[in-house]
Amino acid sequence: MPYHEFECSTCIPERKKHAVVKGPGETLADALPLGYLNTIPGTISERGCAYCGAKHVIGTPMKDVIHISHGPVGCTYDTWQTKRYISDNDNFQLKYTFATDVKEKHIVFGAEKLLKQNIIEAFKAHPDIKRMTIYQTCATALIGDDIDAIAQEVMEELPDVDIFVCNSPGFAGPSQSGGHHKINIAWIKNKVGTVEPEITSDYVINYVGEYNIQGDQEVMQDFFKRMGIQILSTFTGNGSYDDLRAMHKAHLNVLECARSAEYICNELRVKYGIPRLDIDGFGFEPLGNSLRKVGLFFGIEDRAQKIIDEETARWKPELDWYKARLTGKKVCLWPGGSKLWHWAHVIHDEMGLDVVSVYTKFGHQGDMEKGIARCEQGALAIDDPNELEGLEAMNRLQPDIIFTGKRPGEVAKKIRVPYLNAHAYHNGPWKGWEGWVRFARDIYNGIYSPIHELSKLDISKDEIPTDKGFKTARMISDADLPEAVRNDPNLRRYTGKYDMVAELRERTYPEFARQGAQEAAA
Amino acid sequence: MHCELKEKDRIGTINPIFTCQPAGAQYASIGIKECIGIVHGGQGCVMFVRLLISQHLKESFEIASSSVHEDGAVFGALDRVEQAVDVLLMRYPHVKVVPIISTCSTEVIGDDIDGVVRKLNEGLLQEKYAGREVHLIPIHTPSFVGSMVSGYDVAVRDFVKYFAEPGEPGEPNGKVNLITGWVNPGDVKALKHLMTEMDIQANVLFEIESFDSPLMPDGNYVSHGSTTIEDLKSTGSASATLALNRYEGGQAAKYLESEFNQPTIVGPTPIGIRNTDTFLANLKTLTGKPISHSLVVERGIAIDALTDLTHMFLADKRVAIYGNPDLVIGLAEFCLDLEMKPVLLLLGDDNANYPDDPRIQAIQQNVDYPMEIITNADLWDLENRVKNEGLELDLILGHSKGRFAAMECNVPMVRVGFPTYDRAGLYRYPVVGYEGAAWLAEQMANTLFTDMEYKKNKEWVLNVW
Repeated sequence: MPYHEFECSTCIPERKKHAVVKGPGETLADALPLGYLNTIPGTISERGCAYCGAKHVIGTPMKDVIHISHGPVGCTYDTWQTKRYISDNDNFQLKYTFATDVKEKHIVFGAEKLLKQNIIEAFKAHPDIKRMTIYQTCATALIGDDIDAIAQEVMEELPDVDIFVCNSPGFAGPSQSGGHHKINIAWIKNKVGTVEPEITSDYVINYVGEYNIQGDQEVMQDFFKRMGIQILSTFTGNGSYDDLRAMHKAHLNVLECARSAEYICNELRVKYGIPRLDIDGFGFEPLGNSLRKVGLFFGIEDRAQKIIDEETARWKPELDWYKARLTGKKVCLWPGGSKLWHWAHVIHDEMGLDVVSVYTKFGHQGDMEKGIARCEQGALAIDDPNELEGLEAMNRLQPDIIFTGKRPGEVAKKIRVPYLNAHAYHNGPWKGWEGWVRFARDIYNGIYSPIHELSKLDISKDEIPTDKGFKTARMISDADLPEAVRNDPNLRRYTGKYDMVAELRERTYPEFARQGAQEAAA
Repeated sequence: MHCELKEKDRIGTINPIFTCQPAGAQYASIGIKECIGIVHGGQGCVMFVRLLISQHLKESFEIASSSVHEDGAVFGALDRVEQAVDVLLMRYPHVKVVPIISTCSTEVIGDDIDGVVRKLNEGLLQEKYAGREVHLIPIHTPSFVGSMVSGYDVAVRDFVKYFAEPGEPGEPNGKVNLITGWVNPGDVKALKHLMTEMDIQANVLFEIESFDSPLMPDGNYVSHGSTTIEDLKSTGSASATLALNRYEGGQAAKYLESEFNQPTIVGPTPIGIRNTDTFLANLKTLTGKPISHSLVVERGIAIDALTDLTHMFLADKRVAIYGNPDLVIGLAEFCLDLEMKPVLLLLGDDNANYPDDPRIQAIQQNVDYPMEIITNADLWDLENRVKNEGLELDLILGHSKGRFAAMECNVPMVRVGFPTYDRAGLYRYPVVGYEGAAWLAEQMANTLFTDMEYKKNKEWVLNVW
């Protein structure tokens, strides 16, 4: 597996070991790109900071909490309204964000008094909310404010409130990943075990590393509920602060994003003996296997199988409609961290897409191991990519579509590569069977957009086709399909609604008789 | 007096109106051609600002980071700047201008960015980049001072200070420096049009019409401003300077006035008919050029459109406005001319000059209904007044970060300012000039009309109009 040297990066030789091409017959033992090292300054890397990794990625999806950042307003403003982690309490966490508004005088004289006033003010402005998280920023870390002490002081004065402190300033690590780690550890150290939950099922899990992007958590929650499993807490999408204080009472930690949240699972295993089960909510097969594994753990595989059969029968014909039209299309799979291995194999197996490149902004070598193992031969794997390398890779690989962030998506647009938002999704949720069809639908709509086709026409040089007033995506996608596939009566396009999550919130679930009630309570 | 000017009565910020200074410096930096800034601080200070700008303009812009990590925060991070400059120059051979933009972290640890620029000028640039034109410009924008607005102002001033050169004595170059402030491509286009109609050559700071860039059938097109080093140098030899905004570019104008003795006028922001009239009058004063008949016609078209709307639909409508101060004040003035009632103006920072602003003073002296102007304000100042204190509003004017506040208040909102990511293409349309006046008034009217229909609030009125 040779290292891949980008032409644009020959002048920074330390980049050479950050990209590899998966060669024929090679295994991971041959080479692995370096990962999670300090960023080379001035490369125009896409990485964020440890503050956003803690606050923005993991902290803020918690729904019933005042999220306050102790620092100048910028950190708060910048990490506000740039994600799509919704909740079933009317999105309090999206609507409100709080900054202590540290100014120059506070930098000079300290900002602890300011912080305390802020905490009291924020609770006063939202009297129904009794929980708070406080995030340190670069400025307040450097002036040495003791946030924990202030939080403690307030909790003593206001006994009905509870406050969590996360000390993860922006500079604390090479990327946002440093912040993931810090908030994981801070939460288990300070909050887990401080609330005793009501156990209502024989089968109790924490659902960890799931951020409810466009409703993913609620889709997965639906399956667990249909299996009669109690979700004690979700870390952290659509999650409730007090539920997360009771994580210690689960029987199993079901872990989705192992990049951002394996730390807390590992600690829960050490401290409370709760086993960790890694799952994949994306893709029919991985999701089916995941539910089966959870079922197996609890001895309720039949309940999992029932869901798998129902959902597969309902959605397989729709997924296959898209697979027939996406097969052989080239993808650059360029997300932040875990999706590179969540998606690499399954978009190939189930949608027919060829992954020509994977990258990770903040992943570690472990993520690359999994991702490279799962992607196609010849795929280019890049750690901590930068602007020029991304362009060079796209120009070389000529992908049909790229899955990445909003801003890098704009870069791809300019060289006529359609993009899907890998972090916030286009029209998600993308988890679950129906969600996976929605993902396929979004990919199809991206690749076969008639506007995308028009973008490649040079009206000054090319012959302008004047015989058509319009084209549909279908006219483009089906042009070369065999008749039997084009009109296959067993296949159909997506038939779901624009918003599939609202209905889930109204659902009722079967009662399962409890067998081991006493054991669970103990 | 019916209009009170006061600071927000809470100490903290709930839903901020502005981000911090480095964002403003970054927005200014992308207006310059062959320029990539290096933000000296944590990576989020760049990554999120690039995201914010790309949300607003639906384009990606290049800005680099010195990627300060923990060791740098402890031991000093100037070596990161040195490395960043070298890496950037090696990989972007076209780059000539590199502002070094400080942040809260690197100001707190006391990194001497002026010193490192001197060191690089004497060392790296001489040794490795001899013969290449490179300008390293330190820009101090600690996040705990001012806001993105003052950051923009500081950066424009520092760019002008660095580059401006005197021309031949007594022989100005015949151009007028037009310092636009924080505007959109559509605004620049409209302003240039007005100046062209008056046969005035403009040196636009910054020439950002190209921010709205094409998707071409081949090659790549990296969005960037087009103000050149020559343009910046020639600011010193211009015939005159006109800065449209007091708080975004005003300092640069003052510098040009004092350093090069140029006839200089600052403000007013040409929002609405009256302020556009003043803008043209100021151009006439500075250049002696007459106002052309074509502009009389253009003004007439706008006045015609406004007449259709103002007393039938817009009169007495109660408006809250938030955002950049010059924009907010300009919009408030325009609303008053349209017989509307701005009842709440929110200025998102604590600039000590607001009480001395003659426009604010004039509003205070002349409104005859209760009105508040809040400084250091946040969006909770808006939402709380409506939800908990009985403030009644018909319309909100502001940027997209207030979208939830508007929805919570159940008040229709016209997106204006920066950023406006939750509506398509707004950056393409001007809010300045006569064209902007008509566009704004029509946006306000159409937004009110849609709201009437959805709320079944005299929706039948529109049957005949």
